[in-house]
Amino acid sequence: MSLTKHINILDYTLLSLLRRKFRNAGIILVFSLVICITGSVLLLTYAFKREAVLVLGNVPELIVQKMTAGRHELIPVSLGEEISRIPGVSGVEPRYWGYYFDSFTKANYTVVTPGGRLSEGNKLLQGRLPSAEEKGVAAIGGGIARTRFLGIDDDLALFSPDGKLRNFRVVGIFQAPSELLTFDLIVIGKGDLQELFSLPPGIATDLVVGVRNETEAPVIARKIRERIPDSRPILRREIIRTYDAVFSWRSGLILTLFAGALAAFAILAWDKATGLSADERREIGILKALGWETSDILEMKFWEGVAISLTSFFLGILAAYAHIFFFDAALFAPALKGWSVIYPRFHLVPFIDPYQIATLLSLTVIPYIASTIIPSWKAAVTDPDEVVRG
Amino acid sequence: MPADTIISTSGVTKYFNRGRPNEVLAVNGVTFAIRKGDFSVLKGPSGSGKTTLLSLIGCMTRPTAGSVVVAGRDASHLPERFLAEIRRKTFGFIFQQFHLIPGMSVLQNVMIPLYPTDSTLPDLKRRAAALLDSLDMSKRAAFPVQGLSGGEQQRTAIARALINDPDIILADEPTAHLDTALSKDFMEIMKGFRDKGKTIVIASHDPLVFEDPAVGLIVGMRDGSLTELKRRG
Amino acid sequence: MNRAFVFLAGAGLCLLALTGLLFRSAATVRQQGNTVRDMTEIAACLRLTDISFSHDARYTRHPSQADLFSAFQDHPGSIEHFPSGSVSAPPDFSGIGTAISAGKR
Repeated sequence: MSLTKHINILDYTLLSLLRRKFRNAGIILVFSLVICITGSVLLLTYAFKREAVLVLGNVPELIVQKMTAGRHELIPVSLGEEISRIPGVSGVEPRYWGYYFDSFTKANYTVVTPGGRLSEGNKLLQGRLPSAEEKGVAAIGGGIARTRFLGIDDDLALFSPDGKLRNFRVVGIFQAPSELLTFDLIVIGKGDLQELFSLPPGIATDLVVGVRNETEAPVIARKIRERIPDSRPILRREIIRTYDAVFSWRSGLILTLFAGALAAFAILAWDKATGLSADERREIGILKALGWETSDILEMKFWEGVAISLTSFFLGILAAYAHIFFFDAALFAPALKGWSVIYPRFHLVPFIDPYQIATLLSLTVIPYIASTIIPSWKAAVTDPDEVVRG
Repeated sequence: MPADTIISTSGVTKYFNRGRPNEVLAVNGVTFAIRKGDFSVLKGPSGSGKTTLLSLIGCMTRPTAGSVVVAGRDASHLPERFLAEIRRKTFGFIFQQFHLIPGMSVLQNVMIPLYPTDSTLPDLKRRAAALLDSLDMSKRAAFPVQGLSGGEQQRTAIARALINDPDIILADEPTAHLDTALSKDFMEIMKGFRDKGKTIVIASHDPLVFEDPAVGLIVGMRDGSLTELKRRG
Repeated sequence: MNRAFVFLAGAGLCLLALTGLLFRSAATVRQQGNTVRDMTEIAACLRLTDISFSHDARYTRHPSQADLFSAFQDHPGSIEHFPSGSVSAPPDFSGIGTAISAGKR
């Protein structure tokens, strides 16, 4: 068996497709656009999720908030002693943090205190991190440095609730690759934070609970709720699940925005699937009359489906890759990040799931090929006589 | 039946839309034989069933009753793929409407019957070009077929019918769209093929065709039935 | 020129490009492994719980830390409230007073 015949039929198919260049180019354009959009959403969502899960893999296993009247409330540090008596708890530390609304830039910043030191080799911080005990110094995220035009050794001025201006000398600036995490952060010492927010002593924002065995975290969370009914333990697993849900919801939202394009393509595919044009029917009749077998006609239609859908798939997926990882998802990022006064600049790490690409391939190419072959079946098995007598 | 019979029909009958209100009896019990090398004409007014009879002979449709035997094989009961093979290897068709595929060049149209075979494209191209050359069409080879004149379209259709080197050439109303001079040209080309030993079957009601002295067998048809079977020369 | 070979070569080239991009991604991921490690360290050191996407309301800045229902608290003018402001900015009512009038018309 030789390949020549199949190559010939493919050659004829392409020749035949070129007869209707504009129509077929239109189909390829719309098809690639649909694949590009769907592919972009899949690539973007997956890369975000992977990065989030990786980066958040080391967040505290268990955080305990206090709830008052159904709202998040500051928590007394003394509750930590009660929690540390629960078996399996390796330690309890208070966490001090809060939001600062900057009336100059109309943006919210997140003010945190350090819980330890960064290793020397950490390249994502220019300068250093203040220690928990230090006063009058701060490390800031790239977003704040940009909006407030700050460099190392400049002064960051913040208002405390009593209306007094407090100055912090900038000793560290987080670098751009970390903006997904540090964009709006202001890191200051614990004493500074208590003064800046006028926190009463003995009160923290929430408690970080260390757990000896991670699999026991849910059990410990339940015990905390039993002992302190007005607390709300948050598990790391829940945080990661929250992100999964947020990104899935937003990718769904983007797909909804582009539902028009998807619908247009569905109509196009439907139109093809429900009938051949008179021209295509006539072509099939002529080919049969000239001695093409039914199987040759179906092979031609198969190649037609392959040529259009595979071309579109490749164009679409390559465009999607370029869009997401070379152009930083310029089209979708606004919807995916949400509305905001200032946006973080970050470069996505190109995490890719080949399985997703394979799924996209099989969900677009195979149905298209089927919708090309099936309607030609009937024309291919009728006697050429009917077509040719016209 | 003489040994050199190449096509024979026996009681061949064809209904269209059988069993429906618009049922048509197109060919009614026709029996005749064509010998190898015959220059034959199916003669009759339009609607007499000659195009259908030509389709039956050419294995493009199956008879409702009776049989069609082509080169010793009963085509009325062969599976579809053998019919396609017979069409490809034995027959060259020249249709009334030419049925060229628009948007393709003359050369590409001529190559069509041999695409689903194992001959390579350069080989196919050479054969098509040689044929076009023999029909004086080589200067038009790269021309899109929809821009051709009627006579050139027919020459393209003839070249396409000959690309597979068939034993039998079937032509349906070949002179319907041609003026007298071009019709005569067509008959000359056909005579040339007859001289090369090809069998020729033309369905036509044009006197210029069936009164031509070269025609050896005249099959007269009216209302689907055989009315005349005359061998000349 | 045989169109079939041109098409097959084009398709093969695209497949190659796609495979190339997959490898490039894998290489970049490996290369940026240090970045990811440093970020993980920052997250651990500062005990951060959330990604810094949107900074305008605490239920978008810290989705994991907010109350379970956090619709109207931070931006009363925002058009979409749940799930939190994704697409549009809140309208600017500063020049025309409040859009909601109280009492009788």
